[in-house]
Amino acid sequence: MRSRPSRLLREQRAAPGEVVLEHASRRFHVRRDRSRTLKELVVRRSRGAGEATVDALCDVSLRVEPGEAVGLVGRNGAGKSSTLACLAGIVPLDSGRAECGGRVVTLLELGAGFGEDFSGRENIYLNGALHGFERHEIEARVDDIVAFSELGEFIDLPVKVYSSGMFLRLGFSIAAHLDADVMLIDEILAVGDESFQRKCLARISERMEAGVTMVLVSHDPSAIERVCRRVVVLDAGQVAFDGPVADGLLAYHRLLGVSEGATRSVRPGAGGTLEVSELELLDADGAPRRVFRPGEALRVRMALSSRGPAERVVAALEVRDQRGETCFRTDAAVGSVQGTMEASFAMERLALLGGDYDVAVGAAEQDAPAGAWLDRVARLTVAPVSGGEGVADLRGTWSVANSAAAVPAGRTA
Amino acid sequence: MFQYRFLFEQMVRRELRQKYKGSALGVLWYLVNPLVLMGAYALVFSVLLRVADVPHYPLFLLVGLIVWVFFSQALLAAAPSLVTNASLVRKVRFPREAIPASVATVQLVTFLVMLVLVVPVALVVRGSLDPALALLPVIVALLFCFGLGLSLAVAVLHAHYRDVEPVLAAALLPWFFVTPIFLRVEDLPGVESREWLGDLLQWGNPIAPFVDDVRDVLYAGVAPSAGHMAYVAVAGLLALGGGLLLFRRMERDLAVIL
Repeated sequence: MRSRPSRLLREQRAAPGEVVLEHASRRFHVRRDRSRTLKELVVRRSRGAGEATVDALCDVSLRVEPGEAVGLVGRNGAGKSSTLACLAGIVPLDSGRAECGGRVVTLLELGAGFGEDFSGRENIYLNGALHGFERHEIEARVDDIVAFSELGEFIDLPVKVYSSGMFLRLGFSIAAHLDADVMLIDEILAVGDESFQRKCLARISERMEAGVTMVLVSHDPSAIERVCRRVVVLDAGQVAFDGPVADGLLAYHRLLGVSEGATRSVRPGAGGTLEVSELELLDADGAPRRVFRPGEALRVRMALSSRGPAERVVAALEVRDQRGETCFRTDAAVGSVQGTMEASFAMERLALLGGDYDVAVGAAEQDAPAGAWLDRVARLTVAPVSGGEGVADLRGTWSVANSAAAVPAGRTA
Repeated sequence: MFQYRFLFEQMVRRELRQKYKGSALGVLWYLVNPLVLMGAYALVFSVLLRVADVPHYPLFLLVGLIVWVFFSQALLAAAPSLVTNASLVRKVRFPREAIPASVATVQLVTFLVMLVLVVPVALVVRGSLDPALALLPVIVALLFCFGLGLSLAVAVLHAHYRDVEPVLAAALLPWFFVTPIFLRVEDLPGVESREWLGDLLQWGNPIAPFVDDVRDVLYAGVAPSAGHMAYVAVAGLLALGGGLLLFRRMERDLAVIL
């Protein structure tokens, strides 16, 4: 059934640093893709019956120029890791062509190919050899790798005593210092601490300036944003978006928003007489949306309904970040509610920075216990844009004075 | 294959390290097994049953045993090697032959260490240095080709069908007993009247000529017959070629099935 890539296609070799996927398709058989036993071979089962297939890649075409950095994003199971594995030549395609020009260094799993009983230093050689490098090429890099990894004396201890953070440091240091034309990196950086992550990203940028092509899979939009100018969004094995990073991440977040469904009620059943029956996030045109950019207009519309007459009702709105920390909270008296009424909170310019937030709203009579407040939650995704980090955009502007006297000695920032 | 020589060297070092980690005697442990077997069979066949009327019988046994131990251990270690290194196969692109090949090579290293110890003993026991000994490297190289080819085959087969290893382990025991390790085929009492049985044991079992040839040059100090040498050359090269071919055909989806 499988057609091998024709000889003709194979002969158009990719230039060093070029990454090519042409009509690449790969299907996994959920049941069959494990080893069989001899019994199954003898008692041959009827093929296809009850056999689930997953199309990890369906006709994906992608071309990455030398020196370009591309971020691959998508939901779990969208085909990101399969794409990398096919590019690396680890998993063969059913049809189409996958090729990386020149030398490829992969960082697909922490500590893959490490010898447990080898010291960190010996593993540098083993890992380099696995990627097809010769002794002298690795020797020339060992000192840089050891220095970058910050492992100190641990470098001469067997790696079985390493923590996962140390594994990451060593693995990344090796990959980032071998003279590759193409680097394929899968969701690895999440393990390291903040400062090492920053160092890794800086090193990746350095390698890119040296002309190395990067294909990076990550769930962390800020990592993608810092490194890549181009983003490819994969969904169900197909390219859903291919373009500049800001639009790409917006598309990605929209994809996530769609799949996460509508607003949900968080209050247990018999809460009280008052409830928020509807909650919507509306854009400037009054259309419901889930993904916004910083600085856009956003209106939170809610419908309150009451089973009986409710007096002195207060509506509240709270914005929480991913860790559950309150970023903002406000409430307002809405008077008495009989039946249904609408309330909304309008923001002219959204002051949140990129990330996922929960917008929680609630309504209660003024003397109700505090726990009964929040009623309904909507997920708000703010697309990351460069220019600030954190939660809130404080909308300040920088100015720098020319005169040296303006900055007292010893005080910077 | 040649461009990955450094990789191969690194893989062999890794296997060696994993094998001998934390053992004080290290590689010497691998001498214990054939030595114990030698002692036991010498006792049974030469003292208790008295079927073996062979001069320097322990040496005779030992030479056959080290060939067998190399062969069987290489296969038994190679069979699960791809499965054991699944994470490597799934996450890094490199010639996968390197895994079973390095495992078989580690067994070769052990075998060579044993030869280094056995050869002087054989020379002392025989008391002469025969030119036939010059054939030993050739026979050992062909034996390695034979073991390597079968190692590649069982490794990739076991990756696809997980009962290859237990089947192999079960098959090796009777195989051991029909291999002419205790006695030469022609000296077996049951073969005298049935010539076809002797031929079957001699030529139907591909490891038997290897055992005979190594024993000829090491124990008897004579060159093996041309027929024997041709047999081991063909068997060694066929096994290697066939093993490589099978491996190449079946390695395509290794990253998926492991």
